[in-house]
Amino acid sequence: MARVAIVGVGQSKFGKRNDASLRELAFEAYSSALDDAEIESSVIDGSVVCSATHYDKQRSPAGVVAEYLGLNPKPTFNVEAACASSAVGLRIAWSLVSSGLHDVMAVVGVQKMTELASKEIQELMGRAGDVMWESPFGTTMPAYYAMYATAHMARYGTSEEDLAKVTVKNRKYGAKNPKAMFQKPVSVEEVLKSRPVATPLKLFDCCANADGAAVLLVANAQKAKKITDSPVWIAGLGLASSPMALAGRRGPMTSFEVTKNAARSAYEMARVKPSEIDVAEVHDSFSITELLNYEDLGFAKPGKGAKLLKDGDSELGGKIPVNIDGGLISKGHPVGATGASQIASLVQQLRKEAGDVQVDGAKLGLAQNIGGIGMYAAVTILRA
Amino acid sequence: MIWVGFEKFGQSAYISQTKVTPLISYLEKGVIVGTRCKKCGKMYFPPRADCVDCRTSEVEWVPIEGRARLITFTEVYFGPPAFEQSTPYVLGLAEFDNGLRVFAPISRNLDREQLKMDLELVLKPRHSGEGVFYQLEKPD
Repeated sequence: MARVAIVGVGQSKFGKRNDASLRELAFEAYSSALDDAEIESSVIDGSVVCSATHYDKQRSPAGVVAEYLGLNPKPTFNVEAACASSAVGLRIAWSLVSSGLHDVMAVVGVQKMTELASKEIQELMGRAGDVMWESPFGTTMPAYYAMYATAHMARYGTSEEDLAKVTVKNRKYGAKNPKAMFQKPVSVEEVLKSRPVATPLKLFDCCANADGAAVLLVANAQKAKKITDSPVWIAGLGLASSPMALAGRRGPMTSFEVTKNAARSAYEMARVKPSEIDVAEVHDSFSITELLNYEDLGFAKPGKGAKLLKDGDSELGGKIPVNIDGGLISKGHPVGATGASQIASLVQQLRKEAGDVQVDGAKLGLAQNIGGIGMYAAVTILRA
Repeated sequence: MIWVGFEKFGQSAYISQTKVTPLISYLEKGVIVGTRCKKCGKMYFPPRADCVDCRTSEVEWVPIEGRARLITFTEVYFGPPAFEQSTPYVLGLAEFDNGLRVFAPISRNLDREQLKMDLELVLKPRHSGEGVFYQLEKPD
């Protein structure tokens, strides 16, 4: 299989960015990715623009983004897989580069969410599930994940305090990330006291809508070695799908089959085991999601996600540090940018540039990104 | 928008046009139905107009009856605009004996404290203004 590397990464500040438009956010991330790779834009021969376009005022945003980045007349197009858009964008770029059709591509994850009125956001949230069979009953994004939480708590004795500890851990690391939306730690008590959203999930169990962009520059082996002394190789790519309707899914609703399937493909492609992963970024759209991900990715046995956290194994210095850039819970969740942001954090880890949160000797990193209410999951394994 | 029947489904529908619109008439008559493939006998609920295994559209309407056991649920405190006045409300996922699953609201008559895994419930058709829907209720 052709070797493909990430040669540059960049990220804008995430959060309520009422100072910047979609295209300007994309430019911030793109420009810093070019600086990071120490290359000029002329080296890039195509862009993959990743966003959940239903949030954008601009229809078909790849048009304005490629224009604003100065990437015309090179190929560009949009990739949409809800919250997993830019992880899927990386998969597309990998294919285009390894096929030889392109040499160096920009994967541009971007989203502008806070410009929408809260009514518009609520309306969109109401259509997150199957609009024919489930949305007519008043579903929301948190409600779906809450149903997994209820089932996991009933089956394994996971508690609301266990969930709160996910937020506490991630906010602790978010306080060290200048790009994060929330840079202030919270206590278990504050999480437990926050208002209910969909039981058992409370406000602080949920990530926040945000504006932001993250860019990955992807190159074939020959170009990668010319551009940088420290390419980060794409070792495994897994992507899977699951029924969108909750009623179409099987099992006790205590795990995401879609993550397990994506993880299996990624581990096989990279020829590694979960125990070999040095650092991970997983989709903590909600506190419960992170615990399920520990189990679905093979970091913990079924039902033991909360124990992994309590034992300190997912902390910096633990067996498998997870979301030590703060995760979605601290960074905010600019849907289209999230996957690329996770991968950008891993690239910094594997290049030993993660500063205060550097994992000693990190060689293998894993990012997991769930799309929407779990109809897509992408798992990406990177090697230094 | 052209209204052709299915907009009556649920408390707030997003879809009006589908091949399974007859479900609405059945619900109005107080019957919950799914579809069954005439060729292979596979049951579908919610109903499908097409059998995914046989790739045939030769399906028939069949009643969905019996008890369903609760798999999971949540009480929603922050709802979409059309549901703001209804919060909090409970949504559930339940499984019939034949393995089919249903996603539906859980009746307000059921005390939330009573809700637990494997609780036996029944699916009942109900009216809501002009519309019809089904919900999970306590067996009689």
